[in-house]
Amino acid sequence: MVQPVLDVVGLKKSFDDIHAVRGVSFHIDPGETYGLLGPNGAGKTTTISMASGLLESDAGTVNIYGEPMTTKTLDPKAKVGLVPQDIAIYPDLTARENLRFFGKLYAMNKEALKTRVDEVLEVIGLSDRADDRADEFSGGMKRRLNIGIGLLHGPRLLILDEPTVGVDPQSRNAILESVERLSDEGLAVLYTTHYMEEAERLCDRVGIIDQGEIKAEGTRRELLRMVGKADRVRIAVSGGSHNVAESLRALPGVTDASAADGMVELIAGDAGEVLADVLRLVTDAGASVMSVAVDEPDLEAVFLHLTGKALRD
Amino acid sequence: MKAVAIATANLLRFVRDRSNIFFVFVLPIGIVLLIGAQFGGDFSPKVGVVTGGTEIGAAIRAGLNAEADVAVVDYAVEAELVAAIERGGVSAGVLIPANADAALAEGGVAEVGFIARPDGLGPQLETVVAEVVASSAQHVDAARFITGLGVDAAAAADAATAAIGQVPDIEVSVVTAGDSIFPASLGQFDIGASTQLVLFMFLTGLAGSAAVIQTRKLGVATRMLGTPTSVGTIVAGEALGRFAIVLTQGIYILLATVLLFQVNWGNPLGVAIVMLAFAAVGAGAALLMGTLFANDQQAGGVGVVAGIGLAAIGGSMLPLELFPDTMRQIANFTPHAWANEAFADLVRREGTIADVLPEVGVLIAFAVGFLVLATWRMRRVLTVR
Repeated sequence: MVQPVLDVVGLKKSFDDIHAVRGVSFHIDPGETYGLLGPNGAGKTTTISMASGLLESDAGTVNIYGEPMTTKTLDPKAKVGLVPQDIAIYPDLTARENLRFFGKLYAMNKEALKTRVDEVLEVIGLSDRADDRADEFSGGMKRRLNIGIGLLHGPRLLILDEPTVGVDPQSRNAILESVERLSDEGLAVLYTTHYMEEAERLCDRVGIIDQGEIKAEGTRRELLRMVGKADRVRIAVSGGSHNVAESLRALPGVTDASAADGMVELIAGDAGEVLADVLRLVTDAGASVMSVAVDEPDLEAVFLHLTGKALRD
Repeated sequence: MKAVAIATANLLRFVRDRSNIFFVFVLPIGIVLLIGAQFGGDFSPKVGVVTGGTEIGAAIRAGLNAEADVAVVDYAVEAELVAAIERGGVSAGVLIPANADAALAEGGVAEVGFIARPDGLGPQLETVVAEVVASSAQHVDAARFITGLGVDAAAAADAATAAIGQVPDIEVSVVTAGDSIFPASLGQFDIGASTQLVLFMFLTGLAGSAAVIQTRKLGVATRMLGTPTSVGTIVAGEALGRFAIVLTQGIYILLATVLLFQVNWGNPLGVAIVMLAFAAVGAGAALLMGTLFANDQQAGGVGVVAGIGLAAIGGSMLPLELFPDTMRQIANFTPHAWANEAFADLVRREGTIADVLPEVGVLIAFAVGFLVLATWRMRRVLTVR
């Protein structure tokens, strides 16, 4: 059996009365990209903070290649590259100075560091801005530098916490392509996101997390199988639709429904059979239908099925 | 090496913020200069004199000129003297009317005017001028006394002048009981330089807490913990950066005061060891503050109050020797008091390294205490939240 790069077992963490993480377990095999998919506040960042040895857990264990990872252990951290959600760089240092600084914290020797800094600057597309201060960079460039720091020391596991939040589409695509390339090169990746399409595009396996618990885990195909062969219907509305979800769930053929912020979503075995009744219920509730879209099920539908709410809720 | 990397990043960031140059290098010397000018000993107020071409006026002028702490400036007429006082050119003025000699010779009264602004040194100078005028007019009083005995005026004046010349000067000597708190050899800036050095080194240290908070707020401190770097190393690196800045400022103030104001700091090795220990205190305090407060505005506000307050309690604004006993005891709870006491040993009492070792020991204890608390707090804020 292959030793997992990361093995998380029964992690728990509470902040006062808030149970942020309630017994999360998962593992990542070498070369695998694992996604933690869940809405804001689901416990993703708390989970990876403990997995990275940044935050003390209340219970549970984290092992990197079999070595325990805690806030006090050092060796396992040398195998991990961390890219935090919030950009964590010195704005008044240049890109090169930031990279050098963190390289020294990974105890890289002078020559190796010099070479590696140039390589990483090339990878993140900042070679021509290497000696500019980071506070002169655009948001996307800062994000790329943030990722570059995580790659600098050649980690065996790269942990990315929502790396595309607040990024323009062009930079976002560049980041996703970088992660795909690193994954193709055999790097194990832990990727958290609340964007369903990112999880579908990048991840070999996905853990769906909500309210501090992993609700389901598997490949995309395995997860879709959980919700059966069903269609997802999305209806853009204006006007009151808040109380319509319960009525929709009561319709024969509808397995799940939610309504929020001008959007009604439901899962149905056959959208064509229920659509007329659905539209009638929505308009009876006082809402005007703006548009209707019917999709095959995706991870968002899985999330809806598992948690009873949409990812953006 | 990791601690050095963290310290180097700190220094680089510090140097790039140009406002630091003013607060660390320009302001301290300005304050030392100001305090030296206010409280130092080498200062002679100027007194303007209009003699009116009279003998009594010349005598008063000579009397004032003989005063060691007064410089005399001559003016021809009252209007010039008044203008000079108004502009601050002189601190006070003495006006002798042109008919003074004639009035005195006739047995009348000559009124000597004293002019000064209500603020400044006027009141003190009035006393000095009054004594000089009285002294200068004593032969007139004596001549009048003799005239009253039936001697003619000219002979009485000659007799009075001769008699005054025979009266021996009264010699007043001052003896200090015990050791002198402030030796006579003390330079004008000697006290102010060391006390302000202590004040500014600590204040600069506390100001550095803002950089520590920024490192936390930027997420860089947390990210450092994600590398194979312990909390202790992070604290050591941050402290080392602050230590280097505070020590650099201390050395700069020391050199500047030696070169500009000829301050005598005493035993060089003693000064070095006290400065090193106090720089460690400043760095430790910066780290502790940097882990206690959520944002740099809070730390900045509290830092200034704490920095100035502790300096006042610890003898950086008024020498500890002038404190009442209770305040002196309270002062010992501040690192400033121990540093000021150590510098007092070196600057005023020709102390050696051995003399300042007790104070240095206490300062090191302060520094270690601050750093231990800072490490504990840093671990909590980074890993527990």
